[in-house]
Amino acid sequence: MKAAALAVGFALSTALGSLTIQTADAVERGGTLNFARYDGSKLVDPIYADRNPDIWMVGSLFSTLLEPSADGKDLVGSLAESYEVSADGKTVSLKLRNGANFSDGSPVTGEDVVFSLGRARNPDLGPWAGLLSAVSSVDASGADITISLSSPDPALLSMLATFNTAIVSKKAFDAAPGANDQEKSAALFAKGGPGLGSGPFYLSGFEQGTSMTFSANPHYWKEGEDGKPLPYLEGVHFQIIPDDATRVLKLTAGEVDVAEFIPFSRVAELDADPAIDMNLYPSTRIIYSPINTRDTRTDGSANPLADKRVRQAINYATNKEALIGLVLQGAGKPMSSPVMSSATRLATDMSPLYGYNLDKAKALVAEAGLKPGTEITLTTLAGSADDGTIFAALQQMWAPLGITLVAEQVDGATRGSKNRSGEFDIHTYGWVDDVNDPSQVTGWLGYYPTRKAVGTGWNNAEFNALYEASSSEMDPEKRADQYHQMQEIYAEAAPLLFMYETPFAVAVSGKVDGYLQTPLGNNVFERVFLER
Amino acid sequence: MAGVQYTLNRLVLMIPTFLLVMIIIFLLVRMLPGDPAVAIAGDKASDADIAAIRDKLGLNAPLWTQFWLFLTNTLQGDLGRSILMRAPVLDVIIARLPTTIFLAVYAISLSILIAGPLAFIAAINRGRWQDNVIRAVFQVGLSMPVFYIGLLLLTFLAAQLRLFPVGGFGETFLDRLYHLFLPSVTVALYTSAILMRNLRAAIIEVLDAEYVQFARAKGLPPRLILGRHVLKNALISTITLLGLSIGQLMSGTLVTETVFAVPGVGRLMLEAIFARDYPLIQGLTLTFAVLVSLVFLMTDLFQNWLDPRMRLS
Repeated sequence: MKAAALAVGFALSTALGSLTIQTADAVERGGTLNFARYDGSKLVDPIYADRNPDIWMVGSLFSTLLEPSADGKDLVGSLAESYEVSADGKTVSLKLRNGANFSDGSPVTGEDVVFSLGRARNPDLGPWAGLLSAVSSVDASGADITISLSSPDPALLSMLATFNTAIVSKKAFDAAPGANDQEKSAALFAKGGPGLGSGPFYLSGFEQGTSMTFSANPHYWKEGEDGKPLPYLEGVHFQIIPDDATRVLKLTAGEVDVAEFIPFSRVAELDADPAIDMNLYPSTRIIYSPINTRDTRTDGSANPLADKRVRQAINYATNKEALIGLVLQGAGKPMSSPVMSSATRLATDMSPLYGYNLDKAKALVAEAGLKPGTEITLTTLAGSADDGTIFAALQQMWAPLGITLVAEQVDGATRGSKNRSGEFDIHTYGWVDDVNDPSQVTGWLGYYPTRKAVGTGWNNAEFNALYEASSSEMDPEKRADQYHQMQEIYAEAAPLLFMYETPFAVAVSGKVDGYLQTPLGNNVFERVFLER
Repeated sequence: MAGVQYTLNRLVLMIPTFLLVMIIIFLLVRMLPGDPAVAIAGDKASDADIAAIRDKLGLNAPLWTQFWLFLTNTLQGDLGRSILMRAPVLDVIIARLPTTIFLAVYAISLSILIAGPLAFIAAINRGRWQDNVIRAVFQVGLSMPVFYIGLLLLTFLAAQLRLFPVGGFGETFLDRLYHLFLPSVTVALYTSAILMRNLRAAIIEVLDAEYVQFARAKGLPPRLILGRHVLKNALISTITLLGLSIGQLMSGTLVTETVFAVPGVGRLMLEAIFARDYPLIQGLTLTFAVLVSLVFLMTDLFQNWLDPRMRLS
């Protein structure tokens, strides 16, 4: 790959320009945003964050060297003001921004970068170390950072914009009580206060399962439209309200300013409320159902879904638009790429992907010799209204194929275990990208060695070889072509019931401006302000 | 002395109860389908990660070894570390328990305040319109699910009329009384319906008893008859029922705390079950068992005081 230096400043201003459209003089400073969350954080540490409520908050407390652009498709500089990749793809050089500080005012140094990336790639610590497996060493000389790789990694720059590589202060970490990294991390989180991260806020209050408070970092490096430092807010106060209906009531009663994860059945009603902005943020979230492709089920009986034609038939017989209408009240779109959302980079638009065609579906089951009355089990989440609706709809849609669909209701942990052991025919599932690169979701859904192609048991040598080749392909065009081929192979083999993409539904009080949830799910508060 | 002996006997009897509770909860948790290691590591973790977590949690050890460890640690006051909260189970429970106890005591007090006077009015007006109206209203309360009553109260009294906050639990004592009013009423409506029916029936029964008729014949004033003879005797069976309904009330907090966003142990239990947090589920169940046993003990002692016949037996 040719050496590529990026005019980061320009890209940043372009990306952020599309994010906020208000004029500088309209921006109000100060105030606290009250935010109703569906679930609480447990530990917001870049390397230990492993649940979405933790991962999505990392960016507010910790900055990364690079960061995703507003649409999630590109990279722009953050703590690093520039970067360069060597011709052989095995060295990445970055230059730290002058004036980047931690929230106690101390500067972000090369030593902090070496320390943080060292933690991030230590397999004995967090679960994400594998994302940096190509890195062999990280060195710093003043503001110059050099990352050496054992083999080229086209996803590395994306990883430097991902939560797990966020920079923590070595000084603060060393000073924390605790015998090991885990204990120090827990102690720092429990104590809160400025100095650990360099994000727009620092943690200033935390009550397990109840509430969490962020306070503005007065030393944050970014500036707003008015030329004054971000963030605009003095702080953010989070309340944990797991019940959907209560979260909505809190917002309509004016007790909170933002309520996340609005049930889609309530979207139209909140949209009609003049005091509320009902936002549907584009996301990388896809809803699909893995199909067991093994020749036999775990009980030894023959698996009718091992036949590709049966899997294709149920995909054709599923009216995705109808499902979207029933489950999402129209707030979604059918999957257009078989292995990722359309918001993920390198997604191939193959729409309509198995567009509704009952005649074709019937012909395929006839060709496969599927016996009428064949019983197939759909494993769904107990208590999930969405899953209940999906089951009822699929039962009707597949009946003309001679399939008797029966439901098995389990909880999340049981479904996870069944997916791993292969004890299922089809089960509902969902995914949101954690990383700004298609390799994670593609590896998850299709690459057999990672997780048996999302538990389906689908093992395609050509797909696996393409995936391995793409993991070190530094030519963007060749890599894009490999991804295109993988998507074609996957679509044809249909190891999934391809369903739909859903947005993040967030209801925001009309007096709040500048809130954003990125396609990866990250909550962005740095440009939020409250109209007085 | 007899009272002290009785109390001691009852306390000793609680030991086998707790042991049995520990065995049952230990086995029940492990019979749940779903691997806690999968719940902790998340769907995206590799099989090697899962195996490592199972090992770290000691889930690969034989069942009896796990139980022995649980038993001996518990006796030493160590309930283990919560997988979900990443903190000692005891600390997590102690942090959340006061809120639930506050809610429970508040709800019970409201139940008594609602049920007591109404049962009296219904009983002395037996068969008349007052009796019919009171019974009909409570019948509705009894037939509606707790979460639905909660949502109705939230929608009308909190969101529309804005008389009460939608969620939270306040800082000061008075603030807490105000914040937890709707959740307590929600729980109390169900409990008071049962209490009211029982107390009404008991009062009617006592009113017909011969000793009450004799008291009337003696010409005692009605207030004295009701206070000294009727109420005290009618309360005996109702106190037992009140004690029993504490268990019911505890399960009610699971739902109520979720709907009203109250951070107590009821909501914690739900979170722990979904996350297959074995140590936390075990710790919470044990806490519930201790609480309910203590309430039963207090009920017995109170009943003992009310009814001299129990002391003799």
